[in-house]
Amino acid sequence: MSYAVRGGQATSRLLSEERYVPADPQSPDKPLLTGSSQLLTARLHYYLPVSRQRQSIAERFRELVQTWKEDVGPLSSTTEMAMHPAYQQIIGLGRDAVPHLLRELQREPDHWFWALKAITGVDPVEPRQRGQIREMAEAWLRWAREQGLGG
Amino acid sequence: MGEGTGPWRMREEIERIFPGLRIDVYSITSPRTPSYNCVAWAVGQVETWWWPDPMEQAFWPFGIPRRETIDVFIQAFSTLGYVLCATADVEPGFERIAIYVNSARKPTHVARQLPNGTWTSKLGKLEDIEHATLDGLSGSPYGSVALFMRRPIQQQTS
Repeated sequence: MSYAVRGGQATSRLLSEERYVPADPQSPDKPLLTGSSQLLTARLHYYLPVSRQRQSIAERFRELVQTWKEDVGPLSSTTEMAMHPAYQQIIGLGRDAVPHLLRELQREPDHWFWALKAITGVDPVEPRQRGQIREMAEAWLRWAREQGLGG
Repeated sequence: MGEGTGPWRMREEIERIFPGLRIDVYSITSPRTPSYNCVAWAVGQVETWWWPDPMEQAFWPFGIPRRETIDVFIQAFSTLGYVLCATADVEPGFERIAIYVNSARKPTHVARQLPNGTWTSKLGKLEDIEHATLDGLSGSPYGSVALFMRRPIQQQTS
């Protein structure tokens, strides 16, 4: 769905208290977005379109990976590694993070399996492979190829 | 963390994380790798990451609960022939491990004693080190040694 701001000069009007209406010629006067949170969401989408958000996710992912690697180096606890705020934020990126996680796994195998399992809801690692990082990475990359995700 | 770090950079980084090593005698004995951790290294393995994580991503002995408690670690090492012992004194014919816990009594690290009485540790995903004392790794992030276990050397796993 697309939205228009009545009266033109969309950019400046987005920052004003203009009323949003759907760009539907059948109901030109019907207000659609009236709450402040809806207006904020609409403004966010205007200034940060999805195409630019994709780029932002890649950058954000790299920042989070770097932070996580710096902080968890001396830890043995995979539970503590996964509970690290940066790791949790990577999980929070949802399915958008999966291609990045798979590329990272291919580039430099590490403990990304918890995140992949949490996001996708699947676990292609066989019980006998648990703890064997390279075999686990290969299992996930094989799964990715089967799903048509590359890797 | 960074790749391609030279020996001095590695020592700087390790001593930043473990300030106790600045006044201990230690040496770096392996490259860093995420392939195995301190528990694996303590039992002589270098291809598997051991930990009782509830998501079942790490290896853990079959039938032993996946909880981060000292009792669970004792159970896990018992499956490999270890029994509790009182001290860190060297005993010919036995190898010994020390289990560290944090302030919440959660296990954080395991070190293995070498025949000459010094200790060897895999530092998470970082390097292996040989260290003269257990105190060198005490403090954050590992806490302190909670207990020792030992087993006859001939029962060592491959």
